Amino acid sequence: MTLALDILLSGLILGGMYALTALGLTLQYGVARIMNLSYGEFLIAAAFFAYWTFVGLSMSPLIGLIVVVPLAFVLNWAIYQVLLTPLVRRAKNRDMLEVDSILATFGLLFVVQGVMLVIFGGQYHTYSYLSIPVNIAGVTLSLNRLLAFAVAVTIGLIAYLALKHTRTGTAIRAVAVNPESAQLSAIDVQAAAAFAFALGGALVAAGGVLVSMFLTFSAAMGVTFTMKALIVVIMGGVGNMMGALSAGLLLGVVETSVARLGDPGLTLAATFALFLIVLLVRPTGLFGRYTR
Amino acid sequence: MSLSSLPWIVLGAVVVMIVAAFPLFASGYQLTLGISYLYFTILATAWALFSGPTRYISLATAAFFGGGAYTVAVLAELMPWPFVLLTAATVGIVVALIVGLSTLRLSGIYFVIFTFGLSELIRQLVTWYEVNIHGSVGRYIFVEVSRQAIYWQLLVLALVTFAAGWLINRLRLGLALRVIGEDETAARHAGINTTSAKLTLFTVSATIMTLTGAVMAPRWTYIDPTIAFNPMLSFQVVIMALLGGAGALFGPLLGVVPLVALFDVLSAHFPNYFSILLGIVFILIVYALPQGVVGLVKKHWSRPFALESAALPVAPRPISRGALVNVDRLRKSFGGLHAVDDLSFTVEPGEIIGLIGPNGSGKTTVLNLISGALAPNSGHIRFKGREIAGLNPYKIARLGVARTFQLVRVLPTMSVSDNVLAALAHRAHPVWGAQAQDAAQSLLSRVGLDCKGALRANQLTYIDQKRLELARALALEPDLLLLDEWLAGLNPTELGDGIALVRSLQDSGLTIILVEHVMDAIRSLCGRCIVMNAGKKIADGPPETALTDREVIRAYLGEADA
Repeated sequence: MTLALDILLSGLILGGMYALTALGLTLQYGVARIMNLSYGEFLIAAAFFAYWTFVGLSMSPLIGLIVVVPLAFVLNWAIYQVLLTPLVRRAKNRDMLEVDSILATFGLLFVVQGVMLVIFGGQYHTYSYLSIPVNIAGVTLSLNRLLAFAVAVTIGLIAYLALKHTRTGTAIRAVAVNPESAQLSAIDVQAAAAFAFALGGALVAAGGVLVSMFLTFSAAMGVTFTMKALIVVIMGGVGNMMGALSAGLLLGVVETSVARLGDPGLTLAATFALFLIVLLVRPTGLFGRYTR
Repeated sequence: MSLSSLPWIVLGAVVVMIVAAFPLFASGYQLTLGISYLYFTILATAWALFSGPTRYISLATAAFFGGGAYTVAVLAELMPWPFVLLTAATVGIVVALIVGLSTLRLSGIYFVIFTFGLSELIRQLVTWYEVNIHGSVGRYIFVEVSRQAIYWQLLVLALVTFAAGWLINRLRLGLALRVIGEDETAARHAGINTTSAKLTLFTVSATIMTLTGAVMAPRWTYIDPTIAFNPMLSFQVVIMALLGGAGALFGPLLGVVPLVALFDVLSAHFPNYFSILLGIVFILIVYALPQGVVGLVKKHWSRPFALESAALPVAPRPISRGALVNVDRLRKSFGGLHAVDDLSFTVEPGEIIGLIGPNGSGKTTVLNLISGALAPNSGHIRFKGREIAGLNPYKIARLGVARTFQLVRVLPTMSVSDNVLAALAHRAHPVWGAQAQDAAQSLLSRVGLDCKGALRANQLTYIDQKRLELARALALEPDLLLLDEWLAGLNPTELGDGIALVRSLQDSGLTIILVEHVMDAIRSLCGRCIVMNAGKKIADGPPETALTDREVIRAYLGEADA
């Protein structure tokens, strides 16, 4: 019973991280129509940034969070403007943009990963921040996990409310549904896409800082995070924020179960299995409408 | 074999002999570089075999290559070398089938995502197996294979790869894959079994990659999952194929030549910055050379074409007895919207039926249900007495139902005659080769596109694209033709021509269902009209009675005019 509760709580915390990162990816892919294969590298980069603030500057990773989120926003906005806008202009249709963006961000993946390898090397990194045991209903969790979860929920909630209730948010959601029609409603689609891409980058950076508080990470791990975010987005239905949230939590619980009951080496296999099952049974996602 | 191809064959043979003789006088370093050239040539060419025509980007090269290498690591000491290679090929086929069957039915993006994680997945699974079952992570490979032997084996494999590519391009399969790359929906409605075409080629390509990994394995004396399943390899192969141009058989080779040399220099002088520099090179290629070197060459040397037209009369087909189409209590809803609601009607052979109704009344949905683009929620569609509801579109197309699309779907960058050949080659009684060329010509002249066979489809005007789409539909030798607003947007002269063309199709024995808003066309062509509103049939009869029906007027114009 305690084991079940333990798995559930740890799984939900991990799933909260996945949901947050998937929320960012669904903005980049669902709104800006950029299939970003270097997404996970930016998560790891933010994790290294937090590592550096804590170990190098002896400051709380949460301060790192406050710095890195706006930084990531600006950086991703610049990437969209400089690197991706030419591809958007060149693409004759959505499929072409998809192929081009996959290729361009695949190249970017190796550049970012290469930079991190040069600076931090290939070994695993971890730091001990707030590793104070906390007892919840007989289950022991460390405080850093709970804090990370709380921050993730807060950030996710702010992003969700902003998208639902502000003018910019409405514009972004309109572009997600149909860029051509959004244009006809006097929405600057290019600007909205750039904003959404940047916002997605900011969210993944936040995810990176939070993940670094309780997981070990290395420069080569970005691909796994990209994979998981992609899978969560597809499971939830592209562009569907509530879908990404539920699918993220589900993935977290499934992975934790496999790691605790089976073998930690099989978590990615479990992720893939879940992905395949969803693809075969519900190709438009668990909660997805047909969006293309 | 024509006389003009003879010099090329001789040249090819000489090149192969020189390449084959290379190890006899090469130094150790040169031989190593030669091996790199060969194995990247094989991998990039095999990659482009599948990803070039279909435009499905596979990021799984490392997974297959590593699978081959690992098979050797496990089996090399247990059985003779040919059996090891055979097992490796089997491993490649099985993995490719699993990946292909689960993802190739779906849209391309799922395939990309799946292959993106595949080598990581297999690496983790192998590591798990090695740690938990085998007991140690790495393995030593003690096989006595000289570098010369590896070189020659790779050379043979390269020749096999090129031969396979050459052959596929000449088969119907090659055309089918190009059509899929252009427009997968149109491909299905042209009678192409898209899943099996993609799966076949993906498996061929993956098997070659696996064999390459197996042949290369003895180059390492020690192997562990991280070495075997190195994602960098997938990346390098994609860059090479793209730089050269994935659309042509020898395109990737043009990318391999400069990039293997570049990688050699980079890894020797900047080992720490290798991945960064590689990424930058890759991004530059994506921006500057989207079609590869081959695309650049083609742009500057586009070849002129002139084809004579040979009009052949199309024989009238015998008219069979009994209803051709029987639609029975058909229903299709999207969420809460009942697009087609309890619709029943029959179509007799030789009829032209007008399917009309206000916008959103479900006409196009009916065509989509009949042609298999959608599966109904309930109800039956019988064609020549056979249930076709929910069948795959390519099967319905081969049974003799052809369609055009409301928004024209030609295969934009393929030639006009290839557009028609696509359907000719995949219909129930396919034709291929010279016979197909003739048939394509006669179909094109039938719809009024003589002399335009060599143009690219996207160079045609709107009306000509509609004609081309009709020719492609006719190439299926259909009994039933579904025209979705085929006459919309034509000027009065074109409309007259279009009406005459449709009538001539009826005269040759075709049965036609026409979704149309042009009432003049309906009146002059249709013997019978089915009027739909909000998914239901509200009238069925000759145009003059159907169009004056009170309910029809209410549906179109509102209560006041009824």
